[in-house]
Amino acid sequence: MAVAKGKKERIRRGEEDKVSILLEDLASLESYARDLFSFLPLPVCLISAIGIILDANPSFEELSGYRLEEIIGKPAEEVFDKGRLGEISKQTLEKGFVRAEELSIFTKNKKEILGSASATLRKTEEGEIVGYFLGFFNLAGIKKREKELRETQVALANILEDVEEARAKAEEEKNKTGAIIINLTDGILVFDEEDKLSLMNPLAEKFFDIKARDLIDRPISELSTFPTLKPLIKVLTEEVGEIFRKEVSLKKDLTLEMSAVPVLRKKERIGNLIILHDITREKLVEKMKTEFVSLAAHQLRTPLSAIKWTLKMLLDGDLGKITEEQRDFITKTYQSNERMITLINNLLDITRIEEGRYIYKPALTEFEPIVQFVVDSCKGEAERKKIKIEFRKPKKKSRRAMLDIEKIRLAVENLLDNAIKYTQAGGRVIVSLKNTPKEIELSVKDSGVGIPKDQQGRVFAKFFRGANVIRMATEGTGLGLFITKNIIEAHGGRIWFESEEGKGTTFYLALPIKEEFEGFLREF
Amino acid sequence: MEVKGETRGVTLTIDRDYILKNKGEEGLKKVEEELGELGYPIKYKEIETFGYYPVGLRALSLLAIKKVFDFDDKKIEEIGFFGTRVSLVAKFFIKYISSVPKVFLREGQKIWRKHWTIGRLVPIEFNKEKKYAVLQLKDFNLHPIYCIFLRGYMSGLFSLIIKSPQITCQERKCPFKGDEYHEYLIKWQ
Repeated sequence: MAVAKGKKERIRRGEEDKVSILLEDLASLESYARDLFSFLPLPVCLISAIGIILDANPSFEELSGYRLEEIIGKPAEEVFDKGRLGEISKQTLEKGFVRAEELSIFTKNKKEILGSASATLRKTEEGEIVGYFLGFFNLAGIKKREKELRETQVALANILEDVEEARAKAEEEKNKTGAIIINLTDGILVFDEEDKLSLMNPLAEKFFDIKARDLIDRPISELSTFPTLKPLIKVLTEEVGEIFRKEVSLKKDLTLEMSAVPVLRKKERIGNLIILHDITREKLVEKMKTEFVSLAAHQLRTPLSAIKWTLKMLLDGDLGKITEEQRDFITKTYQSNERMITLINNLLDITRIEEGRYIYKPALTEFEPIVQFVVDSCKGEAERKKIKIEFRKPKKKSRRAMLDIEKIRLAVENLLDNAIKYTQAGGRVIVSLKNTPKEIELSVKDSGVGIPKDQQGRVFAKFFRGANVIRMATEGTGLGLFITKNIIEAHGGRIWFESEEGKGTTFYLALPIKEEFEGFLREF
Repeated sequence: MEVKGETRGVTLTIDRDYILKNKGEEGLKKVEEELGELGYPIKYKEIETFGYYPVGLRALSLLAIKKVFDFDDKKIEEIGFFGTRVSLVAKFFIKYISSVPKVFLREGQKIWRKHWTIGRLVPIEFNKEKKYAVLQLKDFNLHPIYCIFLRGYMSGLFSLIIKSPQITCQERKCPFKGDEYHEYLIKWQ
């Protein structure tokens, strides 16, 4: 009996041990299952066959915004998109699973999150359906990026469309510009920022008797190797400044007016545009005109000289006594004749200037004595008009320049004559001379009538006379300043002025001193 | 602990999880201290889910919680409801909910026996049309506090098998009021 009892006891203990081991295994399994379910980053819930949420993991809690005790027991249709969930549920119950079906979840704060759902049927050991596990993959981020990508795509397509439109417009503009350039009555050359020829229109090809295709993309330095282009390239490389205009004689019967204009983009120079205007005909007409004026002037001067000397003889009494009344008339006639001679002389000077025959005889000369001479010779007229003349000289010794004394004297005379002529009695004329490091500068300042602002641009033009001056009915041919400017520029000098109507005018001229005269000397 | 019988650890972990969630580690420590003072120094985190523990401990755990946090009946009922959401007891139950009548008529007692060595859960009536059910719990005289707990627990369980915005549970018979058994009336909308 005791043996049997002991055996029973051992069996019982053995059973208890087995139960204990099984319980431990169950506890481990439960812990493992719980950890796995909790750790899973994918939101997962278990939905019963009648559509009640029976369980959910922490990720699902986090996504939905519901606490676990709130979500469990809740009808799934309150959390998910009812229609889509119904389909997923139906398919899962029929097929046992669904994969990656689109489904929306509505969070506690009513936000809709679009995602992809997969579901797997859950059954009991007896094969009865408990419900299904539903895993939800949040596509919000992907969808958002997809939407952004779509928007970007649309924006890019729009930009491309705009660019294409702009390109087409630009192409059209280019074609238009091209047509204009081709048909332009001026020759066009365009150099790029590296001074390579990038465009040459047909007229320019004709001017230079050359084909653009042989020159395009060649640097300006290489173009001078083409004989017909040489005169132009010489001007372009040696003389062109920012904006430039010059006459270039290519052949005997072809004179071009060349204008060089920088091509700018946002103030940055991206090339140079050279416009070549054929002025051959204008030059010819001008030449004929000048020749006519010259001829007419010469023809007029001879009889005027005869008249002058006859009148002189009458006034001097060489032809017999004359009455005072007769003297008065003859004197006036003599003075008018003198003015006509002066005009004719001026016209002849101009024709010489225009024909390039206004010959200069430069010599290394001091400028100050010339000015002094002119000031002295004008004093009589100034006194007669009750105008005070002042000559301000530099303290240092006057510098020398290469000057044609006769022409320079004429230029200074013209300035001083004007100053006296257009200044009212009681006015003042100040002649100042100063030396700068490179130039001798003369200024003639008057307190006269001034030059109207709207007319100042034409002061050095032929036959220009200010409107206010014409009203004063003073004498003048309107040629003095034109001649003066030509004389000064022929000496390599500059001439300019400042004027205010009613207050006075100051004319300035600057002549280069000897050291700076090399270029000028070479020309003589 | 005079009350005979045992319960699985899973029924106790409901209290542990509720306190941890609502009162934190500090709260759980206070409950453990209270139980220690009562002569039952248990550590909730050492409770084995599938182990067997004296039934009296189940009631003591609730009493200690009530005392420490001064909980009223509503809160105790809430612990019961919470249990159906988070504990493994509910997870086991889920297995049997494929059809309500089946759960109600056949599996109720079976589920009960998996967790308690005492008591019998007897389904009396399930009226789908009138939306109510009657359950009796016999031979289970643990403590009145557990009656309250069960009210919440029953509501929670029925919410897992019936779609309704509101489910109530009323204990209309109780041995602690002189009846032979507990009788719960569960209603839904």
